[in-house]
Amino acid sequence: MVYESQKVAIKYFVISAILFGLQVIVGLLLVSKYIWADPLIGFLPFNTARAIHTNLLVVWMIFGFMGGTYYLVPEESGKELFSKGLANLQFWLLLLGGLVGVIGFLFRWTAGRPLLELPVELKWAIVLVALIFIFNVFMTMIRTKKWTAIQGLLLGGIVMLAVMWLFGIPFFKNLTLDYYYWWWVIHLWVEGAWELIAASLMAFILLKITGIDRQVIEKWLYVEVALVLITGIIGTGHHYYWIGTPRYWLWWGGIFSALEPLPILLMVFDTLNHVRHRKIEILDRLVLHWAVGCAIFHFIGAGVWGFIHTLPVVNRWTHGTQVTASHGHMAFFGAYAMTIITVVYYALPKLKGLKQYNKKRGFLVFWITTISMVVVGLGFGVAGVLQSYMQRGLGIDFLTVQGFMRPWFMAVLFGGFGLFIGVILYIITVFQLFLKKFE
Amino acid sequence: MGKKFARNFFILGTAICTVVFIWLTIDTHTTIPKRTHTDQLSEEVILGKRVWHKYNCNDCHTILGIGGYYSPDVTKVYFMRGEAWLKAFLKDPESPDPKRRKMVNFHLSEDETTRLITFFKWVDGIDTNQWPPKPIGEGKIAEVESKSEPQVALGKGVFEKYRCDICHKIEGKGGMIGPELTREGSKRDALWLEQHIRDPKSHDPTTVMPPFPQITKGELNALVDYLINLK
Ligand code: HEC
Ligand code: HEC
Ligand code: HEM
Ligand code: HEM
Ligand SMILES: [Fe+2]
Repeated sequence: MVYESQKVAIKYFVISAILFGLQVIVGLLLVSKYIWADPLIGFLPFNTARAIHTNLLVVWMIFGFMGGTYYLVPEESGKELFSKGLANLQFWLLLLGGLVGVIGFLFRWTAGRPLLELPVELKWAIVLVALIFIFNVFMTMIRTKKWTAIQGLLLGGIVMLAVMWLFGIPFFKNLTLDYYYWWWVIHLWVEGAWELIAASLMAFILLKITGIDRQVIEKWLYVEVALVLITGIIGTGHHYYWIGTPRYWLWWGGIFSALEPLPILLMVFDTLNHVRHRKIEILDRLVLHWAVGCAIFHFIGAGVWGFIHTLPVVNRWTHGTQVTASHGHMAFFGAYAMTIITVVYYALPKLKGLKQYNKKRGFLVFWITTISMVVVGLGFGVAGVLQSYMQRGLGIDFLTVQGFMRPWFMAVLFGGFGLFIGVILYIITVFQLFLKKFE
Repeated sequence: MGKKFARNFFILGTAICTVVFIWLTIDTHTTIPKRTHTDQLSEEVILGKRVWHKYNCNDCHTILGIGGYYSPDVTKVYFMRGEAWLKAFLKDPESPDPKRRKMVNFHLSEDETTRLITFFKWVDGIDTNQWPPKPIGEGKIAEVESKSEPQVALGKGVFEKYRCDICHKIEGKGGMIGPELTREGSKRDALWLEQHIRDPKSHDPTTVMPPFPQITKGELNALVDYLINLK
């Protein structure tokens, strides 16, 4: 840490970790509802719990990204943050918005659209938070002497994230158009804006730990995000096969989305290459572990798992089954959960001025969470293949097939417990670092 | 390749793809009226969509294949179940079987139910490029199983699958819209039952019992066997 104002990031990281823990608890609840008759149906039915699970996910990740951004921007721009006050205000507003949202769900205060369940009033409140955030980041960056690609692309990702959000706000009368623009938020986030943010954060960390020439890192960063957007924007079409949109999307969406794994594969190569050609000894083996693991899991969850069901011939059978859930978990975890954890393991000790601390637990968290997530992903995956075959292929009734899938939901529950333990250990580490006195 | 080249590649590539995507979006909009029958997108349908959102049905059910995977996709539910069945179901969706996965009973008002059904009817008309696909092995399982399992047990499964229990009581469990079927076997013969389930209107043109043309031959045999044995 070089700049005093970077410290605002600390509380973002702490809250992010806590909400991550809550999200996983609700995940366990969700899958239990698949396995056993639901005693909580009157108070917390599946739909409400799912809204809480996915919104907590988005909120903890946004906290993570914002914390990462506030850490990165002063160092990249060479200036203190424009305003620490705004960064703090924005933190509390977002936390308040998130809490009101979750409590509101319990009282059926909802817009009733998957993943975008927040009621319209809260959606506008989030816009306000985003504006403060972007303003603060932008005002810091324009005072820089040298615009780096890392901060430029990070800003691009954040602005894109905010702009896409706007398409999730209106009420659409036509269900087809509703979902057409719903994907402008969901898809163009995870396969667009968020990739930009994650790639920039990761490039920054690699730059710092490997000592590779900035020119090289930024060149490849440009190529990565170029390919992400070139394939990803038109790749949105892989969600337009069956929702009432024209048949030509089968071609546009199929071809472009099939290319989406390329930039993700490139990220793996770049990461490994930078590490191999490092200019300085990599002291923080833990961060290295997470960064490389993240690149690989990102590729498996998003690239491989995404590719498997992205072509129309496959998607026709798997669309809207647990195959999608399998991919959603693997991809979100590999691409974004792991990026944020990498950033936290990198930045938090620095923010506390720690040169050395016991990293053993960090490695434990790495292996427990990744292995558990593989179990979760495979559990959902097998369940999904069974479902696609029996329900879609053979035409057997929905609930009958769910009975056959039950053992695999048990596997998800089992993996989920593992993940839960890993996340608890992670939270403990974050708190230990958080509570350490500044050295 | 230098960094400058990479940057220009990024800017140009993104710009071109954005333009193409917007062009495709505009073209898609021109096809929406026909593909989704916007002429039938009445006020009532929109109100139905609002009810759909109000109760967050979409986080349990998928529609057009999007949403929660906890319960059946409802894209084609109007076609599969028909109006009378939907009305009865939405009024009291709970199955008497305690082990069966349950839908919340929202105690929807009469208006809300009608609007939802109108909404489902409109959704049913959307041209989804033939999704969900027609199963390739339709009914095979039912026929294969019928040899190994007793027909009667299988028939009970069919009865539950099509949620006949919404309207009919058997041994104390089930709804009251139709007559109790606990002694159906001593009342009717197989041929009559088969005919009735396929097309109830052939016996009583004013009946509220929906026809079940989607029941496969194997399922129907099992179902009739089950009913015949209720004595
Ligand atoms: C807690 C999750 C949940 C919520 C919320 C929910 N449902 Fe359901 N729904 C189910 C389950 C489970 C079934 C299967 C019930 C059965 O077959 O016994 C079902 C079945 C149905 C069916 C019959 C589908 C078929 O083909 O058998 C319709 C129609 C339906 N729901 C409509 C709705 C509507 C409309 C709403 C919102 C007002 C809604 N559901 C909210 C869980 C839910
Ligand atoms: C929406 C409510 C409803 C549903 C769902 C329904 N029925 Fe009926 N059913 C009725 C009503 C009402 C009658 C009364 C006779 C008539 O009007 O035809 C009836 C009559 C019958 C009879 C004839 C009873 C007699 O001997 O006169 C049989 C058998 C029967 N239903 C079987 C079924 C089966 C099997 C299913 C499921 C596949 C089913 N019903 C689903 C409403 C329903
Ligand atoms: C980090 C990147 C990614 C994340 C976080 C992610 C996440 C998700 C999620 C959560 C869904 C489910 C949305 C819903 O219906 O509720 C989904 C759907 C889908 N994703 Fe991804 N994804 C990523 C990348 C990819 C890539 C690269 C591909 C293709 C190569 C892909 C292909 C698909 C497809 C085809 C679906 C639709 C599934 C269906 O039809 O039900 N995804 N993704
Ligand atoms: C204990 C671990 C977890 C369990 C048991 C679990 C379980 C579930 C269940 C049952 C669903 C509902 C799927 C459906 O609609 O039927 C769900 C949705 C979802 N969960 Fe989790 N979850 C866990 C952890 C996580 C984590 C760590 C992430 C992200 C990193 C995550 C991301 C998601 C996403 C994106 C969805 C929406 C999926 C979609 O729309 O396809 N979950 N989860
Ligand atoms: Fe996508």
